[in-house]
Amino acid sequence: MNGAENILGRIAALARVFIAIVFLIPLVFTLLVSVRPEAQPVTKGNIFFGSELTAENYERALVIAPWSLHYLNSIIFVAGVLVVQLVTVTGAAYAFARMRFFGRSLLLMVILLQLMIPSGVLLVQNFRMINILGLFDTRVALMIPYWGSAFGVLLLRQTFREVPIELEEAARIDGANLFQVIRHVYVTNAIPAYLAFALVSVSSHWNEFLWPFIITRSQEIRPLTVGLNKLIKTTDQGAFYGQLMAGTLIVIAPLVILFLLFQRQFVESFARSGIR
Amino acid sequence: MNFRRTAYMMLALFVLIAGAGYAQDDIVIDFYFPSATANDAEGIFQRYADTFQERNEGITINPVFTGNYTDTRNTILTELQGGGAGPDVAVMLTIDLYSFAEEGYIIPLQGFIDAMDDGGAYINDFFPALLANGIDEEGNIWAIPFQRSTPILYYNADLLAEAGYDSPPTNNAELVEIAQALTTDDRDGLLVPVAGGFPIWMFQSFAIAYGQNIVSEDPTEVHFNTPEAVAAVEFVRSLGTDLGVGPAGGAAWGDTPVAFLAGQAAMIYHTTGNLSRILNGADFEVGVWYLPSGPAGEDGTGYGSPTGGGNLYVFDDGSKSEAELDAIWKWVMFLSSAEIQADWGATTGYIAANASAWETEPLASRALEYPQYGVARDQLQFARKEFSSYATITIQGIINKTLESILTGEAEDAQAALEAAQAQIDGILAEYK
Amino acid sequence: MRASSRRKPLVALLQPYLLIAPTLVLVLMFNVVPAIRTVNDSLHKPARGLNAAGKPPEFVGTQNFRDLFDHGHYMGSRFLRAFRNTIVFALATVTVGVPLGLLLALLFNHKQPLLGVWRFAVFYPSLLPLIGAASIWSFIFSDSIGLANAVLRSLGHPGLNWLGDRNLVLLSVIVVNIWKQAGYFMIFFLAGLQNIPRDLYEAASLDGAGEMQQFAALTLPLLRRTLLFVIVIAFIFAFQTVEQLQALGEGGPNDSANLLLYLIFQNISERRSWGYVNAMTIVLIGVVLTFTISNFLLFERDEND
Repeated sequence: MNGAENILGRIAALARVFIAIVFLIPLVFTLLVSVRPEAQPVTKGNIFFGSELTAENYERALVIAPWSLHYLNSIIFVAGVLVVQLVTVTGAAYAFARMRFFGRSLLLMVILLQLMIPSGVLLVQNFRMINILGLFDTRVALMIPYWGSAFGVLLLRQTFREVPIELEEAARIDGANLFQVIRHVYVTNAIPAYLAFALVSVSSHWNEFLWPFIITRSQEIRPLTVGLNKLIKTTDQGAFYGQLMAGTLIVIAPLVILFLLFQRQFVESFARSGIR
Repeated sequence: MNFRRTAYMMLALFVLIAGAGYAQDDIVIDFYFPSATANDAEGIFQRYADTFQERNEGITINPVFTGNYTDTRNTILTELQGGGAGPDVAVMLTIDLYSFAEEGYIIPLQGFIDAMDDGGAYINDFFPALLANGIDEEGNIWAIPFQRSTPILYYNADLLAEAGYDSPPTNNAELVEIAQALTTDDRDGLLVPVAGGFPIWMFQSFAIAYGQNIVSEDPTEVHFNTPEAVAAVEFVRSLGTDLGVGPAGGAAWGDTPVAFLAGQAAMIYHTTGNLSRILNGADFEVGVWYLPSGPAGEDGTGYGSPTGGGNLYVFDDGSKSEAELDAIWKWVMFLSSAEIQADWGATTGYIAANASAWETEPLASRALEYPQYGVARDQLQFARKEFSSYATITIQGIINKTLESILTGEAEDAQAALEAAQAQIDGILAEYK
Repeated sequence: MRASSRRKPLVALLQPYLLIAPTLVLVLMFNVVPAIRTVNDSLHKPARGLNAAGKPPEFVGTQNFRDLFDHGHYMGSRFLRAFRNTIVFALATVTVGVPLGLLLALLFNHKQPLLGVWRFAVFYPSLLPLIGAASIWSFIFSDSIGLANAVLRSLGHPGLNWLGDRNLVLLSVIVVNIWKQAGYFMIFFLAGLQNIPRDLYEAASLDGAGEMQQFAALTLPLLRRTLLFVIVIAFIFAFQTVEQLQALGEGGPNDSANLLLYLIFQNISERRSWGYVNAMTIVLIGVVLTFTISNFLLFERDEND
């Protein structure tokens, strides 16, 4: 290695540390503020630890909402969305990747419109649709707008295209029907892509904020973000940073743990998913 | 498909579970409420609902948390515009009256009150200032006070005493003097939270203190370009510029109480909705006093304080039966009773809306223990109507944006900016004349 | 092949349509049809004034759009600001956030000690709920009690009003957005990088190419498709993510940091403004659509080469 390369290597090493620290500062302080006394913002006392550590913020955050119920609801919500998405996305992705039919490009465009239309502004009309379907205040209402996923179709279509066509032909010769072909040739060869899609889907729906409020009324089915809302919008009393940070950590903990555990698989599955 | 069956089963199961909660002939009242505090509002309302149901067989209350005030308004509008049933009773901002009345979603409550044996006594028990926003120009009552607040002056009595001030400022001149005396490099003398999208409420305090509220009895009239309004906004701006007692552009709403509790602000303007948090959280002596009077005078005419917070509204598109409406009114009466208001005031810190609540436990002893509550109550005699008109949201938006442009120095000529805004407002309100 | 496909049974002809039907129907129901109705609504003005409830909206042609692009109109002046801010916000996200994502991918691609920690450090922001992330930053940016000013003041600087100074708020919001999304973009670049065959680099090294040259000659061209994809996503996100403004200054003083979608939300709560709300929605969709379709066409053409 020559001198210039060496310097470049050192700069890169420094940059890694620097960037990681900058990115981590908010998380570190989220943790610290969550264990600081309420009356001590970072400007008072030691900037990191204040005068003492306390569990008070967690205690108060925990009683403000039925978190275990919200947890269960969030899990059912993201799982219910994902399971159906996997089915709808697979079928559409195969059709767009491997079949020739009239209107293919146009129909793909129509589906991709989903990415481009901010559904938040269509609340009244979507509410009306849910109401017509008789689904208001149900778990299905919460999930149904997400059951089709343009992002997933795009992702898997790309992956399926890279599955060698010979595999499908061989399966056909062996007498496999369409569903067998999709299941045994395409799905099996696209597991990493499915994993990547699953993680994107789960993390985005886990954090869904607006729709659950509009479409549900019963505590029994409302997800975590409804609880978090209470900690954030304490308008009449000003900000409760300690409780808010504690609540945010409570909400994101499962996602963070999942990512830490599966970080390598996650990145690799993206790599093998054919998104390029 | 398998999933669809599962979905239907889940749906059926849900309907079953939801249905099982109610006895068959019960009248069910959907009650939507916002929460703007760090209290377990759901728990508190469930407790009230349980008490109510015990006493009123055949009525079931279904309390629904709907976010903050804005979320609540949007949730209800979305539901009603989208063909949903909407709530039966809801707590919404006092200023939401005209837009919901205009849409025909809510009904006046005067009829219920007139039908009562002691309707007069019931209404007279409320502090008059808290009723002001719920009365239309013909004198009909549309909304019952529930979760109410006003801005008030909080001061750090220890810091004031250290600087030789034994009592809080009572007028703007003293306010400025004390604020300047208490301003240091790492402490603001006075924070008036006008940053963060909603300067109108604080500004209104000063406009009243200068002698002219911006709102009138007539919902088609707004007084935003008066000399008093110009002087008021220029005074607020000067706090952050010439006088230098707070940040230029104003303090952020949410951070102001935090800074006060940390001892980084000697005095703040904030809502009485905050009383319990501040009293519980402070490690110094908390003083509370009326917002100082402006040039209009200390005879009471210059104390400036608009009311704020939420009222109880009843929703009916004309389809509700006599029995349902009776049940609804019972729930409204229950929530506004001295018993519940006393509990609500003591639990959350909002000012109980009726005089008798202050003689009822647990509020009575809490007010005795913390005289600050009494100050918040007594300031109500000087409180005035909060800004509200036809097209409230649009006009409030214009006022907020105009105030922000003046306070941050974007518009230097306050007079011209207010005139321009007034012209836009008059144009909009002309549609309602 | 072609001859035989004509003799396909009906079921086989219908197969592709059946496969895409669920997705298509859902997208039509919850996105496309409402959007088309919005086009129609944007050409109407809701009945206003006393006793307007229940009256049908009036057809006004392009009046709503003309009001929006009129500086003197009360909604127009707000819209034009939000529109400009949205473009600035999107361009900043794309021109800073996307290259930063690429840089992160280059730094955290190869095997190294603590790789999982590094990647977590830059990726976790994208796992946070947007509003939660924004609340964390509102604590950092707070004028009197915030972290940023605590640091500045310890260095002798009087501090900045991050969320209150009209010249600073948009920048603060952009910083949060880049922090939140750069790690997400990184994941796509990592995927792209790992798909570049190792032997290409080995060959280049043998030819004496330095790392910089390898990047310019090999990496960048081979990442072109990823780059396009990420740019499209970044742009779409920039137009659609606004919840953070609730915690970050509510659009700033006098809309100095307001974004289009947030302005739409602010006006959705009054029926009289719905003509404008719908027109703003159409402008928003129009901009995203134009940009995405042109990129998608590039993307597709590129792919078919």
